[in-house]
Amino acid sequence: MMKVLIVARWEYMEKIRSKAFLIGLFLTPVIMVGMGVLPGLFATQEDQITKILGVIDQNGDIAIPFATRMQKRYSLDNGQPNYVVLPLGIGHELDMEAAIRDANRRLVEDEIEGYCLLPKTILSDSVVEYRSNAVGDFRIAQRVKETLQEIIAEERSAALGLDPKILAKLQVNLDVRTIKLSEAGEEEDSGFMKVFFSAYLFLMMLFFLIVTSGQLLVRSVIEEKSHRIVEVLVSSCSPTELMAGKVLGLSGLGLTQMGFWALIGIAMSRSFGLDFIAPGQALLLAVYFVLGYLFYAAVFIAAGSPLTTEQEAQQVTSYLVIFLIVPIVLAIPAIKTPDAGWLKIMTYIPFLTPTMMALRIPIQTPPLWEILSTIALMAVSIYVAMVTAGRIFRIAILSTGKTPKLWEIIQWARRP
Amino acid sequence: MLRVEHLRKEYSTVVAVDDVSFALERGEIFGLLGPNGAGKTTTIRMILDVIKPDGGTISFDGGPFSEQIRNRVGYLPEERGLYRKSKLLDTILYFAGLRGMAHGEAKKEAIRWLERFGLADQTSRRIQELSRGNQQKVQFICSIIHWPDLVVLDEPFSGLDPVNQIVFKDVMRELKQQGRGIVFSTHQMDQAERLSDALCLIDRGKVVLAGTVREVKKRYGRNSLHLEFDGDGRFLPALPGVDRAILYENSAELDLGKGARIQNIVERINRNLELRKLELREPSLHSIFVQTVGRQDEHLAQGKNGS
Repeated sequence: MMKVLIVARWEYMEKIRSKAFLIGLFLTPVIMVGMGVLPGLFATQEDQITKILGVIDQNGDIAIPFATRMQKRYSLDNGQPNYVVLPLGIGHELDMEAAIRDANRRLVEDEIEGYCLLPKTILSDSVVEYRSNAVGDFRIAQRVKETLQEIIAEERSAALGLDPKILAKLQVNLDVRTIKLSEAGEEEDSGFMKVFFSAYLFLMMLFFLIVTSGQLLVRSVIEEKSHRIVEVLVSSCSPTELMAGKVLGLSGLGLTQMGFWALIGIAMSRSFGLDFIAPGQALLLAVYFVLGYLFYAAVFIAAGSPLTTEQEAQQVTSYLVIFLIVPIVLAIPAIKTPDAGWLKIMTYIPFLTPTMMALRIPIQTPPLWEILSTIALMAVSIYVAMVTAGRIFRIAILSTGKTPKLWEIIQWARRP
Repeated sequence: MLRVEHLRKEYSTVVAVDDVSFALERGEIFGLLGPNGAGKTTTIRMILDVIKPDGGTISFDGGPFSEQIRNRVGYLPEERGLYRKSKLLDTILYFAGLRGMAHGEAKKEAIRWLERFGLADQTSRRIQELSRGNQQKVQFICSIIHWPDLVVLDEPFSGLDPVNQIVFKDVMRELKQQGRGIVFSTHQMDQAERLSDALCLIDRGKVVLAGTVREVKKRYGRNSLHLEFDGDGRFLPALPGVDRAILYENSAELDLGKGARIQNIVERINRNLELRKLELREPSLHSIFVQTVGRQDEHLAQGKNGS
């Protein structure tokens, strides 16, 4: 037992100081934050300077009220209007081709941000175009749409002889708020994006955790094999002790990593007021993280210890990564239909259980029986995987030279 | 303390070790000799429980290999390997810990050995920054730091410069004097001849010669007489006890047969010739090997240039 701890301590201390680990430790949260938060920040950032838009109005009655309202309604922080709308052509007799050519030239020369094209038929078929070289700017499109809708509605109601005041009363601005019900039936304000983001976040964390330490594990075994360090190790302690030590040391490493990330997560949610997840769910997630980590440690040992080169190790790692990616791909359908049968079935494949649960828990905490049965399933799977890995490991670490064939490895695994 | 009996190991196509037996007592240095690929390393791996034999037994003080034995053996493998990115002292302490040594004691011993090997100022350097010779010293320290009763050294001198070879040999003799048993393998016959008390020569998995150095020489080797003289030496090949003679103008080499009475031969020579020089030479292990196996092996280096 002492030797298991000595191996564990060595594996932990050597790897925690390795570049690969430190990079993973610090870079992963940076990537996560970068992917999850930054696009949102950019999207909601207010404009700093007035933007100039153009309008070509073949109908003739829309351009002026549109320009006026855009200018009045939206203003910058400093009180200046957010948008100034230049009429680039108005009227039925307009030479559309020339007007569009002129507008395009202004666009290319950055005179204007974009322009609206209002056809003759706008009042009847309600189709307009907004042309810009930055069509990803949803906010301009949204504001243009709202303003034009208003004007067109007014024009139409005037044509019908309605009082504009009645129209104002008729207008409905519906705000649909999504409320997620927690297990206890309590209401919890939660948007689709928030659920998606937190499910995604935990999946990615588990993914990085397993891949980083799996690679570290396989690499160290390959180094020990290629430099024959393993002979000294195996004459000092049994292969089982050696493997147990490695798994233990690596688990410590995983916990360190998780703890560090959790601290960052808590600090971030405190300072930005974002709460990704309820404490009970976090605890449950931690359980699946540990289970998944141990299971994949065994899988990496079984798959990695027969290898002899770094290249092979990278190949095998990339195969295993496929299992880990599956739930990431399924994230969106899973959020839409968290009760789907296929989702439940996939949860019972041991390779997918931890990640599927990491995906499902933030969306909707699965029922207790599912939690207990998957934990039991993982416990059994970990036991079987560890025994199998141990059988492969004790032979694989001493076989050098050629990488063994798959059937040879299977034979090792079957020998008690 | 170590007894190896009828050891056997087969691989799919070859029998790597075939019926190898030998014994080692405390305070003895045992040489395991043979050309490359003879089965020395396989034998050593079985002694240290790195691989399991297909047949035969290995016992330590009468009992089988056990977890307690692990802490009482030290091992320098043939293929040198250490964690390249790890620091020198950390590495030694790890291996000492794995042999059951307490941290504080291990550190004290490590420093002592590092000083002796001239590495005391490099304790926090990474292994990969050290020269090959220095890496080998670190490995040697790893194999002896925990005061093992049995030290197994696989080709300890290969790749080592002559100065450090002497240091290694001195340490081996010290360990012997402290009553520890040492098994070392080599393909350099002259090393074995000078260091070992007993030896065993393996060729293609089989023991070809075994015993103490003296015994082996007596049993298998033939002495030879080298003489320089004035006079007519033509009677020399006909002397009783002389198997073969090479005659030159004023000198000769006489291979003596088994049971040849050297005293008589020398008297006869002395009576007939004016002797200027007379030398009785023991056979070298190398020549014994060549005689026994009946072939010259290019890997079996007589000098120090092997690796």
